[in-house]
Amino acid sequence: MSVFDGLKFRKVSSPVHNLDPRVKFFFVCVLFVVAVMFFQLLPLLVLFFVPIPFVLVARVKREWIRSLKGASMLAFIIFFFNFIFNYIYNEYPNIPSASLIEYSVAMTLRFVVLVETFSVFFLTTSPDLLGLALEQSHVPYEFCFAFTTAVRFVPVLADEAQTIMDAQKSRGLELERGNFLKRIKNYIPILIPLIVSAIRRSLELAEAMESRAWGATEKRTNLYVLRLGKTDYALAFTSIFMLVVAILVWRFVPIPPLSVILSFLQL
Amino acid sequence: MALIETENLSFTYPSGMKPAVEDISISIEKGDFVVLTGPSGCGKTTLCRCFNGLIPHFYGGKLEGNITVAGYNVAKCLVYELARHVGLVFQNPENQLFALSVEKDVAFGLENCGMPRDDMRKRVDWALQMTGIEELRERAPHELSGGQQQRVAIACVLAMQPEVMVFDEPTSFLDPLGAQKIFEVINDLNKELGITVILVEHRLDLASRYANHVIVMNEGKIVLDGEPHKVFNSERARLIGVGIPKATRLYQILRENGLKLSKVPINSEEASQFLRKILTHD
Ligand SMILES: Nc1ncnc2c1ncn2[C@@H]1O[C@H](COP(=O)(O)OP(=O)(O)O)[C@@H](O)[C@H]1O
Ligand SMILES: [Mg+2]
Repeated sequence: MSVFDGLKFRKVSSPVHNLDPRVKFFFVCVLFVVAVMFFQLLPLLVLFFVPIPFVLVARVKREWIRSLKGASMLAFIIFFFNFIFNYIYNEYPNIPSASLIEYSVAMTLRFVVLVETFSVFFLTTSPDLLGLALEQSHVPYEFCFAFTTAVRFVPVLADEAQTIMDAQKSRGLELERGNFLKRIKNYIPILIPLIVSAIRRSLELAEAMESRAWGATEKRTNLYVLRLGKTDYALAFTSIFMLVVAILVWRFVPIPPLSVILSFLQL
Repeated sequence: MALIETENLSFTYPSGMKPAVEDISISIEKGDFVVLTGPSGCGKTTLCRCFNGLIPHFYGGKLEGNITVAGYNVAKCLVYELARHVGLVFQNPENQLFALSVEKDVAFGLENCGMPRDDMRKRVDWALQMTGIEELRERAPHELSGGQQQRVAIACVLAMQPEVMVFDEPTSFLDPLGAQKIFEVINDLNKELGITVILVEHRLDLASRYANHVIVMNEGKIVLDGEPHKVFNSERARLIGVGIPKATRLYQILRENGLKLSKVPINSEEASQFLRKILTHD
């Protein structure tokens, strides 16, 4: 219906969706750390392919590619600045060397790896599981509650914003008219009712919470509990294994630049 | 002693110039099905908030007189203590459900009380079954219809197994059929589980058949209080603008025109029964 559709999480089930969010998050963190450890192209190229099987199993290819496309502009900027600054600083006025290009590509790839892993994580982790994981990681309950409530009310507020927009437009409000400042001003008649209604809503919410014994005990219990299954353990061990291998390689194996490998292969 | 008793209860909101409810003295027995009605702004919601302690603890303001509910003095008892004895279902179903699944929402109050997981699971299942929404347990509350949401809200309160349940215009966002279903659920809670019900309602045609006690308010005060047939047949109820049941109104019109039924009817079944009696006699 509107731009806000992307904010709704659809309930899907796949081996990746069913993974324990804590383990999944650990895996993401390991990829993150490894990506930051290396600045050579070869290991980053390997990391680039790691999330892809997860995307395929979870069947979120379309959404995933869309999020990568969204990050492509930023990736380009990163490449550009890495290249320009390093060139001016180190190699000007010579012709840019292959290793400079390789370095810039590697830095860009590092960013892409971060984006793709986080996007797989958020595409395949339902907010209620995430909230539950927060709770069971001893994050204060108020914070977890705020998180799940925000997730639950974002689509509601988005719908409401749409309704208010339609209502104000039907009274002759023109949103797309005028210069930049004028356009921002046009949104005031939409923001004010939206804020007022959000405040009213939050008061009603607080009332309902109070009426259902909010704060009755310090030791809150939980209807659900997260338990680690076989696949969770498998992923956890894979992550640790990856981390160990990465550390060993980082410490003991000199990684040749890609240009050297290519010329070696040609011989 | 009655389950709910108020004595000269008055309350003024912090921002209010005059009391929103004034000099309320009522007594509600255990097992009663009370319908509370009156024009908008007459203080029904305010009175409901007094029953579960939101007034004075959440709203502040000035509370005078006495109110005891299930043996607790509301003025001295915290809201979460009262929450185990008095459940309040609000008018707008949307803003009283905040979890991402129905089940989780129903468990919210029990989680707050620290109930062990196995007991909680049983309670939640029971509450879902009583309100007939077992098949919705995994769904997201905000994706349900208004009637389904309101049943979830009822289950949320029911799971706490309170002695009293207060419903503040639970059907004002629903169509007549949805409203009918909600009334039936509420009636089952009252008749089968013996839960004392206070139902704030304008649709008296539908709601009054379940009640054994009707309270009419106007401008913050109690105007009529008693047995439904008597209350609805009173001239004052009609003059305040309470939408008295059509059957009762029919009785009054027939009587003005010289046809007197044996008793006052408050729903269509009673009306047709009394009419038939008269017609077959003649
Ligand atoms: N939160 C509030 N703060 C101040 N005044 C209120 C508040 N809620 C209700 N009132 C006032 O109290 C009176 C009774 O309102 P209410 O109990 O909501 O009536 P009803 O539910 O019968 O429509 C009204 O005059 C209303 O303006
Ligand atoms: Mg009201």
